Amino acid sequence: MSGMKLSTDIAAASIVTIAAILALPNFLELFALINATVYVSMSVLALSLALVWGFGGILCFGQAAFFGLGGYSYAVAALNFGDTTYAVPVAIVVPALVAAALGYVMFYGRISDVYMGAITLTLTLILFNFVNSTAGDQWRIGAAPLGGFNGIPSTPPLNLPGDPGNPLPPQSIFTISVVSLLLCYIIAKLILRTRFGRVIVAIRENEHRAELLGYDARAYKLGIFVIGGAMAGLSGMLFANCVFVSPTMFSLFYSGQIIIWVMVGGLGTLAGPVVGAILLNLLTTWAGTLPDISPSLILGVILLLAVLILPRGVLPSLAVLFGHERGVT
Amino acid sequence: MSGVATLLITSLGLAIIFGMMRVINLAHGEFLMLGAYAAILSARAGINIWIAMLIVAPLIVGVIGFVVERLIIRRLYGRMIDTMLATWGLSLALIGAVTMIFGNTVAGFSAPLGSFAIGSFTASAYALFLIIATIILLGGIWALLRFTAAGLIARGTMQNSEMAAALGVSSDRVYAVTFAAGSSVSGLAGALIAPFSGVVPTMGSAFIAKSFITVVTGGAAMLTGTFSAASLLGTVATLGTFMTTPVFGEVMMLAVAIVLLRLLPQGITGRFFRRAL
Amino acid sequence: MTALLATEHLTIRFGGVVAVDDVTFSVATGELRCLIGPNGAGKSTLFKCLTGQIKPSVGRVLWRGRDITGLDSFKIARLGIGIKTQVPSLFDGLTVLESVRLALRRQARERDARAQAMATLERLGIVELAPRIVALLAHGQRQLVELAMVVAPEPELIILDEPTAGMSAEETSRAARVIRSLNDKHAIIVVEHDMQFIRAIAKTVTVLHQGRVLVEDDVMRVLADRRVQDVYLGKVDASLQVTT
Repeated sequence: MSGMKLSTDIAAASIVTIAAILALPNFLELFALINATVYVSMSVLALSLALVWGFGGILCFGQAAFFGLGGYSYAVAALNFGDTTYAVPVAIVVPALVAAALGYVMFYGRISDVYMGAITLTLTLILFNFVNSTAGDQWRIGAAPLGGFNGIPSTPPLNLPGDPGNPLPPQSIFTISVVSLLLCYIIAKLILRTRFGRVIVAIRENEHRAELLGYDARAYKLGIFVIGGAMAGLSGMLFANCVFVSPTMFSLFYSGQIIIWVMVGGLGTLAGPVVGAILLNLLTTWAGTLPDISPSLILGVILLLAVLILPRGVLPSLAVLFGHERGVT
Repeated sequence: MSGVATLLITSLGLAIIFGMMRVINLAHGEFLMLGAYAAILSARAGINIWIAMLIVAPLIVGVIGFVVERLIIRRLYGRMIDTMLATWGLSLALIGAVTMIFGNTVAGFSAPLGSFAIGSFTASAYALFLIIATIILLGGIWALLRFTAAGLIARGTMQNSEMAAALGVSSDRVYAVTFAAGSSVSGLAGALIAPFSGVVPTMGSAFIAKSFITVVTGGAAMLTGTFSAASLLGTVATLGTFMTTPVFGEVMMLAVAIVLLRLLPQGITGRFFRRAL
Repeated sequence: MTALLATEHLTIRFGGVVAVDDVTFSVATGELRCLIGPNGAGKSTLFKCLTGQIKPSVGRVLWRGRDITGLDSFKIARLGIGIKTQVPSLFDGLTVLESVRLALRRQARERDARAQAMATLERLGIVELAPRIVALLAHGQRQLVELAMVVAPEPELIILDEPTAGMSAEETSRAARVIRSLNDKHAIIVVEHDMQFIRAIAKTVTVLHQGRVLVEDDVMRVLADRRVQDVYLGKVDASLQVTT
């Protein structure tokens, strides 16, 4: 039963992915294709918080921190190595390490939800302020200037492994992004099916009871938090390939956006936030074309309404509407 | 010193609401911002600057707070995380709305008092004024809680809202007034810090994290908690900034807050001064 | 008979209140011990200390002679102690089967774990509940599900805090039968209020009063003890009168 559902979900996702890879680069202009790639990277970011929050029960207000760290470490590594092959793992490992350190302090310190929100929020803002202040030549890591407010405009795009002279064209980057999204989705699904995943969900349901059964909740939460951080880092790397890295990756606006995508898409599902991220990004882009209307206003109202009216998110509410009671993944 | 005072006064509104209602209002930064804008605009409209800052700003933001409580907060009682999310949405919406109406540029606002010298230190008299204002505000609130009937009701509801309800107190009403009061304190704080912080729609963002951390580290006692946390964290931040850079000061502040929360998971007043206000 | 779980001069203070006062007692392998006392006697506090949720101010808790004072709950559970809380603490969003399967932490093989889980549900007479979502169950059923989760990994000692709270008479008899049969394989400590239930299952009873051990003896003698009847003033019902 659940095995079948897993395969059908993955099959459906794969079909959509293949369709996207074949169709979109042919139909979209370059600019729109790059935008689409950005949306895909946002979806990976949404997926990371969907995992950490929806399934792990950890409300991280600063998922943008790992997004930014991923982007920046990719850029710095790529500029220093001259070859993006090694920059990719860096983009994943650096945020994972930071998540490990932060997670250790928070979970092994038994810090409660509210305080965790405060700490993750503050961390993101500190990173934002720090990177913002790194204008000027003294702020470089190896060959990479951090660039302060302007970011790193010369972020190198991905090249074929081992072939640094040949950066990949935007079409390939789009394909890579979409495939990455699919892979992350599959990995997340598989994780949830392992014992680790089931314990994580149990901990979210009732941490105390899980501990009374002998599970060390601190270690499990740390684990899922690190995985989420790594995934967010990957999304930062993908983002860096379409747009250059800048401090806005660490902004409160981004942190808020990620939360909105997950809430509106459906807290407790994986596909929901992915779809939510794409739809909301389309909405924000469209709103940006309207004169005088602030995207911040629109997103803020959406979040407000989401919390007040549909606390379970759009997708699960639709599912309930159509008669599927249980949690969807 | 003015660093501590700034932290204290900008966190007080959040602390009042958190201490009384266990609600974290993430739009707190925007209430500060609205207070600053209210002060500037009324000053530009010809109202005396002191009245604009000390009366108009808190009044306007208090009303806004009242409306927010009625429309949003009261539907989410007991749901702390949902309240945080909803107020974050409100925060984004307010930033957007103000940007749309007033644009992105910094509104000019120079400190109304000059500078003065004590020995070899020059300081702006305004900074001194801010410190004094903070002390007066703290004292006033304390006196209000301690000596007035309204304060007694508030304290009772804080301790045990069910019991208070059984005694005829409408906790609904208390919460509405509390939220409005906390909002107006935030508005006042925003107006007072406007001269040296620069008035932009996003000015609140700089304060929300620090206030949040201060209130949470202080614990449930709204006055003592915020005072002790602000003193401790503010001093650390000022020292850090003085020794290196402002960013490092913030890092130090966060580090100290994390250590404190590790040792005292309920905040400072979770362990010490537990019965204090 | 070896002492399985023991406390030595256990004292727990909160602020100015002494909730548990110099309690020394021990439970042997295979024993069934009931811990009773009126409200405020310190039973819940003692329970929380034994299960790692509260740390004592003074004294020690020993497991097979080993000092386990102050250990985290999950470590205590891993020693082979099953814990059932007063208010059922369950995984509301999971099914009954999934919940019991999770209780079998050491069992890595999925098929064996499920089989063992089903066998446990069978044992408790609730096998038909296996696919149901826990949140949708009635209170008495939830108690039994939690009991199943506690019992499934075959712990050496089971500690139950008011297991029959909110149960109907029929469910209470079923629980009494289950606990008596569990006693064949596990040592059990039951913290309880319900006198009928105590009479049905108890062998040795420890009575707490104001944090201290008032009396510790065979159930019949305890129930006939004047002092016990006094502290339960108002809570004593006719069923306590022992006919000689």
